Amino acid sequence: MNSATIKPGRASTAFLLAAAIAILFNTALACVKESYPPLNKAMASLTGHHWTTHGLADIALFAVLGLVFWKTGAAEKIDANRLTSLLIASVVIAGGGLVAFYLLF
Amino acid sequence: MNITGSDLILLGHAGMGMLGSLLAAWVFFEALHARKENAVRTRNVALAVAASMAAVWILGGYWYVHLYPGDRAVILKGPWPFAHSIFMEVKEHLFFVTLILSFYLPIAARDRLYASAAARRLVMCVALLIALSAWAIEGAGGVIEHGAKLALIQAGAKGAR
Repeated sequence: MNSATIKPGRASTAFLLAAAIAILFNTALACVKESYPPLNKAMASLTGHHWTTHGLADIALFAVLGLVFWKTGAAEKIDANRLTSLLIASVVIAGGGLVAFYLLF
Repeated sequence: MNITGSDLILLGHAGMGMLGSLLAAWVFFEALHARKENAVRTRNVALAVAASMAAVWILGGYWYVHLYPGDRAVILKGPWPFAHSIFMEVKEHLFFVTLILSFYLPIAARDRLYASAAARRLVMCVALLIALSAWAIEGAGGVIEHGAKLALIQAGAKGAR
């Protein structure tokens, strides 16, 4: 078996998929909470500041999804290089989405 | 010399962010030249990236929640209100992308990078994304500080120029 055929480990692919989803969720949540003040207020009431709640929600989603995908092996069915491309795409979309939203909002 | 706790927190968060981005660049090059001999070092530096960015989260978060509101009010009244409305708003949310990637990096670095081209590519990609996003955030921080400075100059702050 050569290095071209050995895949990343189960944990790597599981948390990779979780990271891509959490990154997109981060931008979606930012847009929604800025557009809907009651959500912003509710998030602020949980920890004292909406930004703190936002960060904790992102990390919690990443951790929970990562563990779920790890236990179920859901991400193993996806090609590793495709997952890497998905991650890159999620970062570009999320970052670009944030810039676009705050430029236009 | 008058250095306050808030000065240390502000400079500390930026310093830890720069450290984390340089450590991520280090991981990139270790993965590029992955061998059995550098596997432990790669994992340890990846952990250091996560620790640095966690420190940024804590220091920067404290600054943002407790100490930034005064700066925000000044910036919004000055000639560069976009320093807050665009640059800070983007920065504070883009940082979570960097943070998620930083927490993921040690997980990906646990694979035998010397034995898997796909695992190597993955770690290099994540490390590069961390470094690039951190540098963008660092630049945004500079714009925000300059926005505050310009606002103070405009308001006629003594000795600001």
